[in-house]
Amino acid sequence: MNHGFYLWMSYGATAIAIAIEIATLAAGRARARRLIEEERDLEAQD
Amino acid sequence: MNWFYFSSPSTFYRLAGWLSPWFFALAAILTAVGLYYGFVVAPTDAQQGEVYRVIFIHVPAAWMSMFIYFVMAAYSAASLTFNTRLGAMMARALAPTGALFTFVALWTGAFWGRPTWGTYWAWDARMTSELVLLFLYFGFIALANAFEDPRRGDRAAALLALIGLVNLPIIYFSVHWWNTLHQGSTVKLTGTSMHVAMLTGMLLMAFAFWMYSIGAALTRVRSIILERERRARWARSL
Amino acid sequence: MTTMALGSLPGGFAWAFSRDFRLAWRNPGETVLVVAFFVLVASLFPLGVGADMRLLERIGPGVIWVCALLAAFLSLPAMFSSDYMDGSLEQMALSSHPMVGWVSGKIAAHWIMTGLPLTVLSPLLALQYGLEADTLLVLAAALAIGTPVLSLLGAACSALTLGARGGGMLLALLALPLFVPILIFGAGAAQAQASGLSPSPHLSLLAAGLIVAAMGLPAAVCLAIRIALD
Repeated sequence: MNHGFYLWMSYGATAIAIAIEIATLAAGRARARRLIEEERDLEAQD
Repeated sequence: MNWFYFSSPSTFYRLAGWLSPWFFALAAILTAVGLYYGFVVAPTDAQQGEVYRVIFIHVPAAWMSMFIYFVMAAYSAASLTFNTRLGAMMARALAPTGALFTFVALWTGAFWGRPTWGTYWAWDARMTSELVLLFLYFGFIALANAFEDPRRGDRAAALLALIGLVNLPIIYFSVHWWNTLHQGSTVKLTGTSMHVAMLTGMLLMAFAFWMYSIGAALTRVRSIILERERRARWARSL
Repeated sequence: MTTMALGSLPGGFAWAFSRDFRLAWRNPGETVLVVAFFVLVASLFPLGVGADMRLLERIGPGVIWVCALLAAFLSLPAMFSSDYMDGSLEQMALSSHPMVGWVSGKIAAHWIMTGLPLTVLSPLLALQYGLEADTLLVLAAALAIGTPVLSLLGAACSALTLGARGGGMLLALLALPLFVPILIFGAGAAQAQASGLSPSPHLSLLAAGLIVAAMGLPAAVCLAIRIALD
């Protein structure tokens, strides 16, 4: 295994991990917005 | 100036939304400059060749993993002392990013260890303590989400974070003691002092990770605030 | 049975200690289970790694300590949960006894019914692993000092997880990382003795840990219980 393998595995995994976190952040935002929409709908029904 | 103006979820929500893009932008710029230093400016290491360049991720990630835990515990202490909601929400927002950097530190440590020590995992003091830290993060996240009432989760997790904070040095000390009795050497870079460009690269990447962590925490706390405060009028009128 | 002062810390300690002790004495199932688990798991390791006595002698202290950790951890959920469920925990919190007193009493009773039996039994297991007499004694001493710390740390984790989803596994995730230093110094003491070194640094550190834990953790447990009851 040449050193390139270890460097790629390290930097690659880090990039993937950060990408996953950013995706989770986006999903969290979407979920929060959806819950706000639901609250607004509930309010409109009253 | 009212220092507590931003301690209400609604005002902090707006502030966080305004700030977070700047932190992400800073993180991107610092990463670019840091990696430039790490791969172009910093020379090849005398003993380890090119693979040492893992430290530009490994060391900053390890630093962040501990720093974020410390900040998380500070927010926890504040939230318990002043019984604020926002403090606990910030602690919750920080935990996943802290866990991420702990994982990255462990992973990159393994891929640095294989070519240098010959093994992916060696039970050395720092890596073993880092592993325990990962469990502390998981415990915090799990406990915070283990209750119907989010405030109960807030406060239980906050107390856990403080107990963990006190234990962290003890755990590190005990693992260090245990390790030095069983093994001996730790890996040193170039033996003497670190080349200036290597140190610069590491510091730049550390700042990059720090800015990224703040951006991520601010983004995450906004979602937490919205979810928690969704029944409040200000939230519904967004 | 009560001639102690109302609203006093030692009074609360004595009351809670005797209550929990008598409850456990009448229903020894929990205690017997903990002890049985300890012996059972300690007997599994030789079956798994083979009966090479030199190997067993080397891993003996560590294995016995891990079994003690697991057995101690097993008994943690029950420390506060039954009182929490039937409301007596709330009653105790509202009483005039300072909380730290009766909480410490419960933790002490827990140790008497779990850590102490494990400590007393450990020489038998040590013989199974072929440990020398001096190592055996150091191991027992380390367990005697360390298991109370496990009870203290475990009490904090147990109080934090009262009524939580995820039950035992969540408790394990919280407690076991915190147990790590006690495991390291406890097993290390016996290993030091076995290799001819002095175990006193390890035992001293364990003792210091016990003092610090006994002073600091009951307050944390009280806060955790208050969080659970709100």
